[in-house]
Amino acid sequence: MEFEVVIGLEVHVELQTESKLFCSCPNRFISEPNFNTCPVCLGFPGTLPQLNNEAVRQALTASLALNCEIAYFSYFDRKNYFYPDMPKGYQLSQYFEPIGSSGYLNIEDDNGRPKKVRIGRVHMEEDAGKLVHAVGGDASMVDYNRVGVPLVEIVTEPDLRSPGESRRYLEQLKRILQYARVSDCKMEEGSLRCDANISLRPIGNQTLGSKTELKNMNSFKAVEKSLEHEIKRQYDILNRGEEVLSQTLRWEEDKQETIVMRGKLEAHDYRCFIDPELAPLELTVEQVEKARSALPEMAEARAARFINDYGLPEYDAGVLTSSRCLADYFETCLDSYNNPKVVSNWIMGEFSAQLNNVGLEADQCSFRPKELAELLQMIDEGVISGKIAKEVLEKAFQSGKAPRTVVEEEGLLQISDQSELQAIVEKVVNENPDSVEKYRSGTTKVIGFLVGRAMKETGGKANPRLVNELLVKKIEE
Amino acid sequence: MINMTEAGQGLDKAIKVTKIDVALPEQEELERELHDFLQWLKPMLAVDTTGAEQVLNGLDTVNVMREDHVRQGNLAELQEAAPDFAGGFYMVPPIIE
Amino acid sequence: MELRKVSIRQAAEAVNSGEVSAHQLIEETLNNCSVLNEGLNIFTHIAGIDALEQAKAIDRKIEKGEKLPLAGLPVAVKDDICYGVLPTSFGSTAFKEFISPYTATAVEKLMDAGAIVIGKTNLDDMSLGSSTASSPFGPTVNPWNTEYTASSAGAAAVATGVCMLVLESDCGGALRQGASHCGVFGLRPTRGRVSRYGLNTYSSSFGQVGITAISGENIIGALEIISGFDGKDASTAVCKDRPTGKNNVPDFEDLRIGCPAAAFDHLEPELREEYEKARQVYADQGLQFIDLDLSLLSEALQAYYVIVLAESSSNHSRFDGIRFGAAEEAGNLEELYCKSRGAILGREGRRRSIFGTLLLRKGNYDLYYRQALRIWNLVRREFTNALTYCDLLMLPAVKTLPRLSAAEPDFLDSWSDDLFCAPVSLSGLPALSLPAGQLQGIPVGLQLVGRPFSEEILVTVADRVVREVKFFPYGNS
Repeated sequence: MEFEVVIGLEVHVELQTESKLFCSCPNRFISEPNFNTCPVCLGFPGTLPQLNNEAVRQALTASLALNCEIAYFSYFDRKNYFYPDMPKGYQLSQYFEPIGSSGYLNIEDDNGRPKKVRIGRVHMEEDAGKLVHAVGGDASMVDYNRVGVPLVEIVTEPDLRSPGESRRYLEQLKRILQYARVSDCKMEEGSLRCDANISLRPIGNQTLGSKTELKNMNSFKAVEKSLEHEIKRQYDILNRGEEVLSQTLRWEEDKQETIVMRGKLEAHDYRCFIDPELAPLELTVEQVEKARSALPEMAEARAARFINDYGLPEYDAGVLTSSRCLADYFETCLDSYNNPKVVSNWIMGEFSAQLNNVGLEADQCSFRPKELAELLQMIDEGVISGKIAKEVLEKAFQSGKAPRTVVEEEGLLQISDQSELQAIVEKVVNENPDSVEKYRSGTTKVIGFLVGRAMKETGGKANPRLVNELLVKKIEE
Repeated sequence: MINMTEAGQGLDKAIKVTKIDVALPEQEELERELHDFLQWLKPMLAVDTTGAEQVLNGLDTVNVMREDHVRQGNLAELQEAAPDFAGGFYMVPPIIE
Repeated sequence: MELRKVSIRQAAEAVNSGEVSAHQLIEETLNNCSVLNEGLNIFTHIAGIDALEQAKAIDRKIEKGEKLPLAGLPVAVKDDICYGVLPTSFGSTAFKEFISPYTATAVEKLMDAGAIVIGKTNLDDMSLGSSTASSPFGPTVNPWNTEYTASSAGAAAVATGVCMLVLESDCGGALRQGASHCGVFGLRPTRGRVSRYGLNTYSSSFGQVGITAISGENIIGALEIISGFDGKDASTAVCKDRPTGKNNVPDFEDLRIGCPAAAFDHLEPELREEYEKARQVYADQGLQFIDLDLSLLSEALQAYYVIVLAESSSNHSRFDGIRFGAAEEAGNLEELYCKSRGAILGREGRRRSIFGTLLLRKGNYDLYYRQALRIWNLVRREFTNALTYCDLLMLPAVKTLPRLSAAEPDFLDSWSDDLFCAPVSLSGLPALSLPAGQLQGIPVGLQLVGRPFSEEILVTVADRVVREVKFFPYGNS
């Protein structure tokens, strides 16, 4: 039988505020456990939540960036359950009235056609702490640093039809939220987390098959892999004529397989009720429209601007704006080196290659835009050749040293000393009489070959323009 | 008519969800007390509340927020209050699902 | 200085002028406390050397010429309100030694004004009650008749003259009934007028910090000090939009008091007679009475309990034995929860959490909880409506004499004691409990309820009536 895959994703992203959602503890990663804690986020008796206005602003921005309808009146609810990572015994979450609903974002389906993925809701909630299980299993340790960190949860409708679509949805979501400056969306660091609901149904069926919930995917790739794995598993079960059990599954990255975390997916009764300690949120049409007009420039608009203002090819603009930090890198670099196409070439080429090598994003490496600008200026000044510049970039990127320092320390300065080059030129002319003869008889293009020989002699450090000049002079003597 | 027995069912479950150890004699008392309590609530159920919106929140105000500033206090005092705090962590016995 | 005979203004003046030193006053008071406490069980903790040190600090300030509105005055704080110097038990033996790493805003404000906390006052199991009968430390004995409970230990402290002010919580009427049973004044302020930060309340919707004192004048003096916006408690935002300045107290002849005659039908004949006499005294003072119908008194009480139980089940979830309080020995997490929570909460606490959980469950939620929230709305409307044509409302404060110290009352009888107080809590309006008469030598009080922020009117009326009549048990100061 042929089956259709139905996937829905629940994504949690950490907002980029200074402080937590309901207290003034820092919203910042720190390895020391329980450092970012206070009586409020630890749920001490008598403390009350104090809502962070910036978190609300960012949640509103995220909702607008995801084309949501905005709730003009919303509030926080208590989701009651016991677990050591949740100090109050309840999570404050916008359960009844999410700030954003009925949104969407656009992706390409597996055939490259545009597809709209509906977003059911965008709501604010507080993060939980972290449980570390001690070796030997005789105790668990709780770290509350993360408790109370502001999150938005973004839930799709069951619109995704393949692992590839799911990955592209996540990539697009990440790009939008990064552009909206509400989250850095780094899945590897946990600032974006994704759970997937997945089921299969015979093609043509309208009712959904029984679903499983996938958890613990730590990268976009893992989301794709685990979904592929789960589709195959469900497919095999259904083809055997058996039923898929409604379960929560955990993706094991090492083994590339899933294990059962919890049996039967029972709708848990969280006994939600409106929190009586926080005042409701009321937004006016003016406020929402103001927030909408204040939305930062998104990827498409920025790419268009790069084409118009900087004369970049469409391809370059697309690559540079694929992540906000890369586009920021590009524009910052232009501040000190105003040649867009050259900067674009270097960012798309050598710089991106270095980033990929170490798996970093443009805003995480120590090779800053001003270093790239410095490198490009050195080429223009004739201090180094373009070829050497690639080597300098690699060394500067890896060592964290300034390009100029690398050039000095490694002795990579371009040889522009005429007397030094003269000797090399003479050597090349003497060693290649045939080519010299060809040049003299009119085949002037062999000069390129001779320049190459001279460059080789200097380990690439010779100033090629000067070598060319000296060679011609010598041969025509 | 409201089925009181149904509403009163699930005391066992409620005790479990509330995560409180209750000795058997107390549980039997609670059983009776719950019955009495639900009887006591009957007049409230009979009130005609058509047209009365539920109170969403007793605070007669909206949009009470603070600025996004960081402030940090004394951690030692907080951690001293914990029954079992070791190596920087709050310790709990093993979790058996 | 006989604290029952002077106003806080006079007492503070005596200290500010150097007539008596704060140290002297506090030393004397602490001695009295210890003696009285043996018989009456008023305090869970009596301050020691730290109170004397604070008194010395106040004396030094005064020597430097500072004037403080509560200079050196002994005050007490109910043991569900956090004061970081003395232990806060919250009404649980598991917290007997708990020192909160923070102090309630209202306490801080009192201390900034020069007051000295001499002790923490007794309370019911997790402060769930209006009698102290369920206190894990035993009931507080009524100073007027030791066979009875005091209802509120703070009221007993004021009645015996060991302190001038007590900060107490009031949810369904503990403070007001206590004041009534001990013949003193107790104010439940307008919701949001006094910060609740640092009050461990089982009901976030109704729990409030109020003031108990020997006169309305003292209450209003303290209210001016402790009230106002506090960033740590969202409910106090109502103070921000309010014009400052005092309420003008109308002439007595222009005051209309709404009095629901039918409400008094709930009383035993002797008690009703006392209230009748009191009413006559008010009428003799020229106050006009208007009969009105508060049709939902019993139903309001029931709705109050549904909401409060639901909220206590959630508010008390933080007591899990992990971050604070004593934990029980446990082999696994489930056991830690069940044993610790079973021990932290007493019989009343366990009952309320379990019933509250049940009321919020699917199936019961709409039937009970939502219905209660609707009734809350109806009750608010009833009160607000009454106060459009009345300036004040008069209601009994208590339904019976206090509980016998030795008795273990049925829980529903105890809950029913809140018949006249809990509906007022639903209204969110300020209510003052004040002496009205006596029965079998035990004081009986009534409640005056006013419009939001009309506390000045309530106390002015109260002080004037009480001054004119004989039923004030402390004579007329």
